[in-house]
Amino acid sequence: MIRTSLFAVALAVAFAAAPAAAQEGPLVTTEWLEKNLDNPKVRIVEVSVEPGVYERGHVPGAQNVVWHTDLVEVVNRDIASRDRFEALARRLGIGRDTTVVLYGDNNNWFAAWGAWVFEVYGLRDNVKLLDGGRKKWEAEKRPLENRVAAVEPSSIVIPEPNAKVRARLADVLAVVKQEKEGTIVDIRSPDEFSGKLIAPPGVQELAIRAGHMPGAVNVPWGRAVNEDGTFKSKEELRKLYAAAGIDGTKPLITTCRIGERSSHTWFALTRLLGYEAANYDGSWTEYGNTVGVPIANPAGTVWGGK
Amino acid sequence: MMDAKNETALPATALGVARGQRIAAAGVAALIVAAGVALASSPDTQALTLSLAFGALFGFVLQRARFCFYCIWRDYIVARDPRGMLGILTALAVGLAGYTLVFGAWLPDPSGTRLPPDAHIGPVGPAVALAGLVFGFGMAVSGSCLSAHLYRLGEGSPVAPFALIGAMLGFVFGFLTWNPIYLAWVSASPVLWLPRHLGYGGALAAALAVLGLVALSLLRQWRPSPRAETPLAAIFVDRWPTWIGGLAIGAIGTATYLRVAPLGVTAEIGARSRAAANTLGLLPERLEGLDQFRGCATMIRDALLTPNGVFVMALVAAAFAAALAAGQFQPRRPTFRDAARGLGGGVLLGWGAMTGLGCTIGTLLSGISAGAVSGWVFGFAAYGGVWLALAVSRRLQRA
Repeated sequence: MIRTSLFAVALAVAFAAAPAAAQEGPLVTTEWLEKNLDNPKVRIVEVSVEPGVYERGHVPGAQNVVWHTDLVEVVNRDIASRDRFEALARRLGIGRDTTVVLYGDNNNWFAAWGAWVFEVYGLRDNVKLLDGGRKKWEAEKRPLENRVAAVEPSSIVIPEPNAKVRARLADVLAVVKQEKEGTIVDIRSPDEFSGKLIAPPGVQELAIRAGHMPGAVNVPWGRAVNEDGTFKSKEELRKLYAAAGIDGTKPLITTCRIGERSSHTWFALTRLLGYEAANYDGSWTEYGNTVGVPIANPAGTVWGGK
Repeated sequence: MMDAKNETALPATALGVARGQRIAAAGVAALIVAAGVALASSPDTQALTLSLAFGALFGFVLQRARFCFYCIWRDYIVARDPRGMLGILTALAVGLAGYTLVFGAWLPDPSGTRLPPDAHIGPVGPAVALAGLVFGFGMAVSGSCLSAHLYRLGEGSPVAPFALIGAMLGFVFGFLTWNPIYLAWVSASPVLWLPRHLGYGGALAAALAVLGLVALSLLRQWRPSPRAETPLAAIFVDRWPTWIGGLAIGAIGTATYLRVAPLGVTAEIGARSRAAANTLGLLPERLEGLDQFRGCATMIRDALLTPNGVFVMALVAAAFAAALAAGQFQPRRPTFRDAARGLGGGVLLGWGAMTGLGCTIGTLLSGISAGAVSGWVFGFAAYGGVWLALAVSRRLQRA
């Protein structure tokens, strides 16, 4: 009798512990997430860029974070201030021991930006991305709901930002001028990198110079993912970046146009491969507009016509 | 200026419609269903499939209830017939209740700085009032608003095609005048959302109270409608009482907002005009601030089929089927007068819908349903425009 009840307790403990054990590492699978929808230690957060996507149906229990008002400042160009981020984290009910699962539309770009901002504010190991994002969750016909779950606010205290994971113009210039060791990983398309295009089609935010930072290597972000939007395996990623001369021995700086696609590559490099990397959120819209900085422009495009 | 032909007349006697027309109606309905099946075969086209279904329902209801804002307003202004007005009030009341239900789930606390996603809540200022006034004039000149021209296209109206062409031109004029209007009147105008100030319950109660008071005064002038002979004739042949149309339209508006986007019929027309004018090099390099506003967005898209495009096509097709079934498909060779009225009125409609970020559907109906002050302003201004145009027309006829 005692034995059977002990066995039952052991079984219950084992089952309760099982999901927690499966969440090791910086990614969670759609399957894991569906099993953990009711796990009180897991906070699911959607960061989509298209308005109305979250509201018309989200992963059950997910909270909504709006990239262009919650994760950035709206008047000056900057990531959300410490106070703003603290208020957000409290509203989301995030504590030190909460496992935060971020996901979103657009290949998880903005969710990855979210993961980067979380890390700037000291939330790293408990913050995970849903591998494959919204697209994979939907493709697998997993459930969505359109009610907003109420969560108990937390009282988390957010520290000052960690400058190590954020590159500023001065850091980038130091690497460009070879005053500091490092490699700049430019994840834009080859046409943007070469300077044929100043920005992708349909994009308003331009720089008034074309090209890239001298010495940067070009590994478009999309090479890091499979057909279904999931990240490639560690081994494949290691090979991909090694082919571009990136092996983790030098500190890295990831950059794109406004720093959101580069967050995706930053996540792969730091969290999946364990390399040291900082994301440069100023990116080409800052660098390409800055007076007096060196630029490589193989395509020779001149702003306003040749 | 006044369109005497339609609306109050009920031409077909119960199911006395030529067999050929009924078979044709079934054929068009089958085509709509086939298009739906084709679209539904891919999971990526859910928004298109839903838009097709909602558009077809909307077109059917518009034609069956002859839900034409101009005719309804004219019937009241000229003949003191309140039946249509009560239909509009019904649509607004149902839409308000439906939107409030959806908003409560999506944005439980309306008091912050956030607005519910893509609801048509626009800036309130002189621009939306002027847009409404001009749109109202265009309604009176062309004989109806844009959504009614679309369903009348399905009835074979000789004016509707010209009005829609005129509206596309009007949109281009609207884009050309947008930048100065934006800088002078729009950029500093506040975006007013009633639930933010009154709460969901308060905003709903206040709006329903206004609608209820207007309805009470209209009910005093109520007159009974003729009764249909059989249920089938009541649905497919005779004109529905407008309030039944209003119930359906409020429900369709809520459903489209929940699943796709707020109800609107001008986004596609505007976007196509914008793309064409852009290709011809007519437009300014930038339309300041335009694409950040909520309303019938005219952003140029590459896709061949957009949800709003499918919605409008389904609307016209279903109205065509409904008109055939009722024996109300009565095409006529357009006269010079038809063309002139359509084009002239259409230009005013297009300019008003562009500047007001929508028409009687996108700004008035979807705006008021969403608790937007801009919807009320556009609605009153458009009513004023119709009233003024009718007064001018009477003066001219007397002279």
